[in-house]
Amino acid sequence: MDEMEKRLAACFSAVLPELTSEEIPQASATSVKSWDSVATITLIAVVEEEFEISIDVEDPAQFDSFQQILSYLREGAKKTD
Amino acid sequence: MKLTEALEILKGIKSRKGEVFTCFLATGTNPLHLNTFLAAELSLLFAHLRIEIQQGLFGDFAGNLRRLASNEAHCGIVLMEWTDLDPRLGIRTMAAWSPSVYSDILSTVRARALEVQQAIEKACQRMPVVLSMPTLPLPPISFVPGWQASTFEIELKAALHSFASQVSQYAQVRILNPQRIDMVSPLQERFDVESELLTGFPYKLPHASALANLLACLTRRPAPKKGLITDLDDTLWRGILGEVGVDGISWDLDHYSQMHAFYQRLLGALSSEGVLIAVASKNELSLVEQALLRKDLAISANSIFPMEASWGPKSEAVARILKTWNVGADSVVFVDDSPLELAEVKASHPDVECIKFPTKDSLGVYHLAIRLRDLFGKSAILQEDTIRAESIRRSHAGLAAPERAKTTHANFLEQVEAEMSFNFSKSPLDPRALELVNKTNQFNLNGKRYTEAAWHNYLLDPESFLLVVSYTDKYGPLGKIAVAAGRREGMKLKIDAWVLSCRAFSRRIEYRSLEELFAKFGVEEIELDYLATERNSPLREFLAEILGGAPAPGCGISRQAFHARAKTLQEPKEMING
Repeated sequence: MDEMEKRLAACFSAVLPELTSEEIPQASATSVKSWDSVATITLIAVVEEEFEISIDVEDPAQFDSFQQILSYLREGAKKTD
Repeated sequence: MKLTEALEILKGIKSRKGEVFTCFLATGTNPLHLNTFLAAELSLLFAHLRIEIQQGLFGDFAGNLRRLASNEAHCGIVLMEWTDLDPRLGIRTMAAWSPSVYSDILSTVRARALEVQQAIEKACQRMPVVLSMPTLPLPPISFVPGWQASTFEIELKAALHSFASQVSQYAQVRILNPQRIDMVSPLQERFDVESELLTGFPYKLPHASALANLLACLTRRPAPKKGLITDLDDTLWRGILGEVGVDGISWDLDHYSQMHAFYQRLLGALSSEGVLIAVASKNELSLVEQALLRKDLAISANSIFPMEASWGPKSEAVARILKTWNVGADSVVFVDDSPLELAEVKASHPDVECIKFPTKDSLGVYHLAIRLRDLFGKSAILQEDTIRAESIRRSHAGLAAPERAKTTHANFLEQVEAEMSFNFSKSPLDPRALELVNKTNQFNLNGKRYTEAAWHNYLLDPESFLLVVSYTDKYGPLGKIAVAAGRREGMKLKIDAWVLSCRAFSRRIEYRSLEELFAKFGVEEIELDYLATERNSPLREFLAEILGGAPAPGCGISRQAFHARAKTLQEPKEMING
């Protein structure tokens, strides 16, 4: 797990505290019961805060898994490099 | 606080046991992250309670106010933004803007403000209510350019100020200070337009965090500090008295030392509000007395008692002051410009709050004044506040003389013409009673603290009683200094709370209170919900005397035993101290 994944995992752990560290990388809105629309919005807010970025969210549903959010962050990091 | 931190706090206290503190949040916005911040802040403030935040429906501010008015929560929070007062003042509506709608918006805002006032008036009969006036900027609705204040906007704000002015007079209402939120959260960094459109949550996270922090602070009345001990040289005034003499010290614009006058004025104000002010200085006492006679001093020398000027360690001076005041170290602030002196006092009195006076840093002194206001701030000034310092000064003078003369308790009380009055009225609710129960440590039956709502509900029970004792003697009144509360159960009286201010020790008020309770209720036994705490040894010693042995939880005393023991204990004995 690289630094970015670790920080994102910490965000997930704060918003979805019932997930174990092993479950977090596979977490998605469909696999985690407590992951509802409020959790998505909270996750986005926490990620924005942690990575000091502003996420343009036309459709929050696209941020519905750990891997998708990680990809989004990696893309953003590439653009700024 | 960051949102992640708030979530972590809530995660950490999930398993917290104990009583629930319920807070009803009445707002028309979607409180979303504000809820999280608020729950976290309240969890930190009420460390032994489980926090539950109830809320109404998104967009239904009027309905949520009605829900608040009939709610049984321990505390209510009314959080309103302009859009709650008229949706046309927000961005989620399609309604037209034009100068022709200004007067209608103004009428709507006034009518809605009246509804809010009525709901708050009803709710605050049962619980404390916290009110936050709009914190978000008005949208650009007015035709004038943004740098010009329009008549319309000024009238809108005037309507709200008038409403707030009326609501602020209700005893259980606290209004968030707009100046404080302006200081901690810049106006242009509050409104999250995207989030408002997407979810109805209008705040940027730092603003939501700042707002939640202040709202949480307002949900409880923290016990204010009682006394301030100040250094003199380069603190109360600029200069070293022993080096430059009485005329060489300064606190004025000419000597660039005006902020010392500002500090003196603040101490003078605190003194007039009931805060005890003392001096601990390494100086010659005679020189200090001369300096304090200077007519241009911005604080009256009479406001300062006691005056500890010597060359000994300041920790010892502080110890003597604490003894004279008879207050706990945790209710005292020590201000000095020397980090060394602060450290020396802190080492001996870890509970004293030690604050550095930032000499030659004017902005620092200004910020110090704000901090001191927060530490000593109270919602109302009671009669007891205005007489506290004088009664300590008189007690000190009055009690010292009999000590030398080895006077007995009984003689002494006769000599000082002690008078006690016992008031059993529960209505109107006396705020001093709860204040005493919540801040007294030494003579306290069990150390239990009550929220305003819990205390209010306790006294609403027709079986409960409340006794408030006032005391006066020839040295002046001490005001209301003791409280007992409990319930009658058959021929037994159960006391749940019993406190006596430390200012009123050695006056046999505790004996007279028990005597009065036996007489008033005609019971044969008084049962005490006693619990030993770290600091209630004076109460413990009294109970040991009256019971003839160490007290235990739930201990009781019969009428017969009490009268027998009280009589014996009234026999002459040497008075130890005041």
